[in-house]
Amino acid sequence: MGAVLDARGLRKRFKDVQAVEGVDLTVHAGERVGLLGPNGAGKTTTLLMLLGAITPDEGEIEIMGHRLPKGRSKAMEEVGFVAGYLPLPDRLRVREALGVFAGFYGLNRAQAADAIERGLSRFRVAKLADRMCMELSSGQRTLVGIVKASLHQPRLLVLDEPTASLDPDVAMRVRAGLLDICANEGTALLVTSHNMLEVERMCERVVFIAGGRIVADGTPDDVASMFGHGDLESVFLQLAGNDMDLDEP
Amino acid sequence: MSWLRIMTVVRRHWYVLWRSPNRWFDIAVWPVFDVLLFGSLGAFVAQENEASRAAAPYLLAGIMLFHVLFQCQIAVTTGFMEETWSRNLLNIMTTPITELEYTAGLAVYAFMKLVMAMATISVVALVTYQFHLDSIGWGLVPIVGVLLMVGWAVSLLVIGLILRFGQSAEILAWGVNFVMLAVSGVFNPVSALPGWVQPLAKVLPTTYAFRAMRDLLDGKAIPWDDVIAGYVGSIVFCALGYWFIVRMLSTFRARGYVTRFS
Repeated sequence: MGAVLDARGLRKRFKDVQAVEGVDLTVHAGERVGLLGPNGAGKTTTLLMLLGAITPDEGEIEIMGHRLPKGRSKAMEEVGFVAGYLPLPDRLRVREALGVFAGFYGLNRAQAADAIERGLSRFRVAKLADRMCMELSSGQRTLVGIVKASLHQPRLLVLDEPTASLDPDVAMRVRAGLLDICANEGTALLVTSHNMLEVERMCERVVFIAGGRIVADGTPDDVASMFGHGDLESVFLQLAGNDMDLDEP
Repeated sequence: MSWLRIMTVVRRHWYVLWRSPNRWFDIAVWPVFDVLLFGSLGAFVAQENEASRAAAPYLLAGIMLFHVLFQCQIAVTTGFMEETWSRNLLNIMTTPITELEYTAGLAVYAFMKLVMAMATISVVALVTYQFHLDSIGWGLVPIVGVLLMVGWAVSLLVIGLILRFGQSAEILAWGVNFVMLAVSGVFNPVSALPGWVQPLAKVLPTTYAFRAMRDLLDGKAIPWDDVIAGYVGSIVFCALGYWFIVRMLSTFRARGYVTRFS
């Protein structure tokens, strides 16, 4: 399997805080990777660097052979991004907003219409097409956000906390839709989440970050046993506890 | 450059304009009151003093051409600010659209808004004061070009400041227009400005554009020296605006300021 994403030696410092400290991360075609870690571990900073929204102090990022930052535009043609905390443009209807993003991804009107119908059907949200984006619930917004991110059939889907604060049934629809995209389109997934059970169900590989460094990388079972635990939840609690200890004077 | 992506930016902002009555104030309400204000002022001065009959056309043409600058600048700047208000900046930054394509899209959208605003202004000036811009002649076209370019350049400056300092810099989107209005000699020759302001006025390309307009109103031939000075200045302004926004965008990415807007 070829690499869709290859990042080497990523470092980022914000004033006195070393947010990311030498992260190496490769995601292969069709691979489903969970990027985990406690709050402040450096997950979102890492994702935003991989997407070209934050410039690393050091390190190299290549997406489908396009080196960032120079090849950012070409790289983003291969990537879809959605975050649970990001709304869609609020004064647009869902179909209009999706049409706008399809245009940004380079789809013409006919291609965009097909992609929008396919995406809305896949996530069973076709009835939302004419609703204003500002009227969507957080669950609906996430589902439409994933439709947006997958309109152009990207080789890599990057998701930052996609199921945060979602009801279990909506979270299940999100997971099912994402697995369907991966299975049918060979899309790779890079997802952050605080829901360890969800990650165990969805990802075949997990990467734990703590204090800006990768501390574990492997299958969910391997990573859990590496820390002497039976599941990822316990690993997470251990790492989060260590971080809290570090914060104490 | 992708024409499809540029026109998609136009479509995105057209949807917002269509659904936002407050945005129509810029093109259908404020211009009307500007024409009424400066037209009435000109009419009053003309009534008081026969020698000042030219005041009304000076004021009306001044405010009408000032709106070229204002509309262009405000449409581009508020277009960008709409992305920050709707927390859509990160969504856009993670698509293939380039900064140049996005800015070009906003410039096209600004031109469309400008056409609508100028239509409003022209009709009000014609109906209320029997003043029509085409009485100035085709010499107006190159002058409008200068003002368009300066409007775009100023919007790049303001957007750069918003990228750097966040939403607290938004006030400049409107405030900078008052500076340009006061210093560019929109209604008066530069010699009428206080001495310490005149050097600043002479640096602004808009000053040459408005001076050329007054020459045309006086029935003189197109003052090409002023027009050329205006274009040279606007090219420099656009280059400075582009350099500034590239620097600010680099700082924006280096310091992770995108999280301010997401």
